[in-house]
Amino acid sequence: MVSKVVMPKLGATMEKGTIVKWLAPVGDYVESGDPIAEIQTDKITLEIEAEASGVLLKTLYDEGSEVTVQEVIAYIGQEDEKIIEKCEDHITEETTIEGNLFFKDKIRRTPAARKLARIYQINLENVPGTGRMGMIKKSDVENYLANNKKTSPLSDTVHLKEPHLVSSPGPDQSGNKPIPISAEVVDDQRMKLTGIRKVVADRMTQSMQIPQVTLMSEVDMTNCVELRKNLLPIIEKTNGFRLSYNDILIKIVAHTIRRYPTLNASLQNDEIVCHSSVNIGFAVDTPAGLVVPVVKNAQKLGLVSITETCNQLIRLAREGNLKYEQMREGTLTISNLGKYEIDEFTPIINPPEAAILGVGRIRPKPVVINEEIKIKSTMKLSLTFDHRIVDGAPAAAFLSALKETLECPYQLFM
Amino acid sequence: MRTITYSEAIREAMSQIMRHNPDVFIMGEDIGVYGGAFGLTNGMIEEFGAERVRITPISEAAITGCATGAAMTGMRPILEIQFSDFVMIAADNLVNQAAKMRYMFGGKAKVPMVVRLPGGSGAGFAAQHSQSLEAWMTHIPGLKVVQPSNAYDAKGLMIAAINDDNPVLFYEHKLLYNETGEVPREEYEIPLGKAHVKRTGSDVTIVATGIMVKKAMEAAEELEKDGILAEIIDPRTLVPLDQEVIINSVKKTGRVLVVHEAVKRGGYGAEIASMIAESDAFDYLDAPIKRLGGVETPIPYNPGLEQKAVPQVQDMLQECRKIVME
Repeated sequence: MVSKVVMPKLGATMEKGTIVKWLAPVGDYVESGDPIAEIQTDKITLEIEAEASGVLLKTLYDEGSEVTVQEVIAYIGQEDEKIIEKCEDHITEETTIEGNLFFKDKIRRTPAARKLARIYQINLENVPGTGRMGMIKKSDVENYLANNKKTSPLSDTVHLKEPHLVSSPGPDQSGNKPIPISAEVVDDQRMKLTGIRKVVADRMTQSMQIPQVTLMSEVDMTNCVELRKNLLPIIEKTNGFRLSYNDILIKIVAHTIRRYPTLNASLQNDEIVCHSSVNIGFAVDTPAGLVVPVVKNAQKLGLVSITETCNQLIRLAREGNLKYEQMREGTLTISNLGKYEIDEFTPIINPPEAAILGVGRIRPKPVVINEEIKIKSTMKLSLTFDHRIVDGAPAAAFLSALKETLECPYQLFM
Repeated sequence: MRTITYSEAIREAMSQIMRHNPDVFIMGEDIGVYGGAFGLTNGMIEEFGAERVRITPISEAAITGCATGAAMTGMRPILEIQFSDFVMIAADNLVNQAAKMRYMFGGKAKVPMVVRLPGGSGAGFAAQHSQSLEAWMTHIPGLKVVQPSNAYDAKGLMIAAINDDNPVLFYEHKLLYNETGEVPREEYEIPLGKAHVKRTGSDVTIVATGIMVKKAMEAAEELEKDGILAEIIDPRTLVPLDQEVIINSVKKTGRVLVVHEAVKRGGYGAEIASMIAESDAFDYLDAPIKRLGGVETPIPYNPGLEQKAVPQVQDMLQECRKIVME
């Protein structure tokens, strides 16, 4: 019996997944449980396992294709077995003729062209073929790459044509060849909205449907700076990791938010769910785009554990190896732009969470204390909350409490 | 360096080894005073005597059977089959005996013998004396198959063949006998299983065997005028085949033409082509793998037709241009 392999649905918001790589070639025997494809979804990369043992009869999509969830992407069965179903929703329509797989109107391309297209993730449909019977050759792909610069980050490494120069209209006064002026004609750069970029785009558009309000407050970080200065060498000696302000923020937010349950909440099908555990997501910028790994049960963790967890998650995020589990079930997100020259900004909620905390840089500033001007390390916090879940007053109370704890972090001992 | 002919290079290889290795002897039809059908053994009977330069009856089966037995007892015979076409008379002794002995005796018996096989067309010897049947022998496990394309390789490969403990079929091309080349005086070996890149290029790989190497070199000169740079690989030995050199070249050029004089159908070019298609060079191919071989006809006696029956420089030019341009 032929069994189907489908694009799995791995989250409430997941609509499509991208086939990053086929892990088993067509015609190979796969055991049930063997990984057969790598897919990218919701900012993570996962392996799909075969649910049945048999020969991978056919894959319906090329690597790099985006496929709707629950869509059939491959068939597994016995060798020479017929594939009965007719797959309609993909490019290479197939039908069964006398037990043989029959492919209609496939793009003709040489192995070398196919390899190059795979490396640079080019859809060969867009490449005009100049070979025999319109076959796409390696040189066609190279030309396409040269004319569509920066199609992928790697494209600089291919042998590209020199950018053509706009030459001056006529010979110069000496009667010599026209002197090129240094105005390069470079086409606009176009990038398809796919992968992480697409997920971010969808999620942020979704977020803007939420009525959200941002509150801002300035915090005196002097004591936190002192706390970090004292704890950093101790923690570093314990586990080799350097304590960051982000770790301290996670600890203090988790400590404070317990008193404000409506901020550690989410809206699910007209129900406000106040979560028992504080799972803090923190935004990480990776080469592939923004991802938000989650520190689970942060209210139970000490600074040593938080530092270890965060470092591990950041490393996985940068390597693109975050698992789906490591990014789900967040209850509040922290977005820290403190390493840049940013003081404050309006963060956008990561749905379905109730709030997000934006963090600016720490910098010394003159502050009036008891009618005296003193230099203090200050930092601005921006708390954006979902007004459907929580009102301004409790949000303001939480932000004030947060400010208070940050200014006197010794409260953590209480 | 001095220049000698392909046939002198082969004779020199045999003579030099015979001078210091008493186990080596030669046998064949008319190889004594007459010096062999192509004069390859001229003067050898005078130097080594009739005991070591054995003139045999006209029976290839007898020569081969005798050599196989002698080899198994510790001698290292070199036998000449006057025309390689006659090897089928000796097929049983070669294919069923010599090729199997080492295996069937669990490695305790060795068969160190060299079978010299003048082959190929172009000399007007007609259908029964002009064939290129080397692909037949490559199919038999236990036999090594060598096909030198020039004087230098002929000497080095002959010495390696004599020193090998297995039956080696040494295909010489009649039209190459008088080709000259620089050949060192001393003994040297070209290991069996090492291909030679005769010319480097970036646009198309020509894998050519035997006399086709010479023609491919001429074709490459012409192609260069069109701006097509051909890389020429001479496998030198068909068994064992140096896959790595061929694969690396195809990876570099992305295009390949395999040329041999033997009939294209079932020829050794098919083996090379499939080997490339099965290798990781496949992903680098930018054109179908092409083969150029003899037409499916017995070699004609008529000199004009004889030329038409096997690949010529012009055919290679045409194929290469098609591969590169299409």
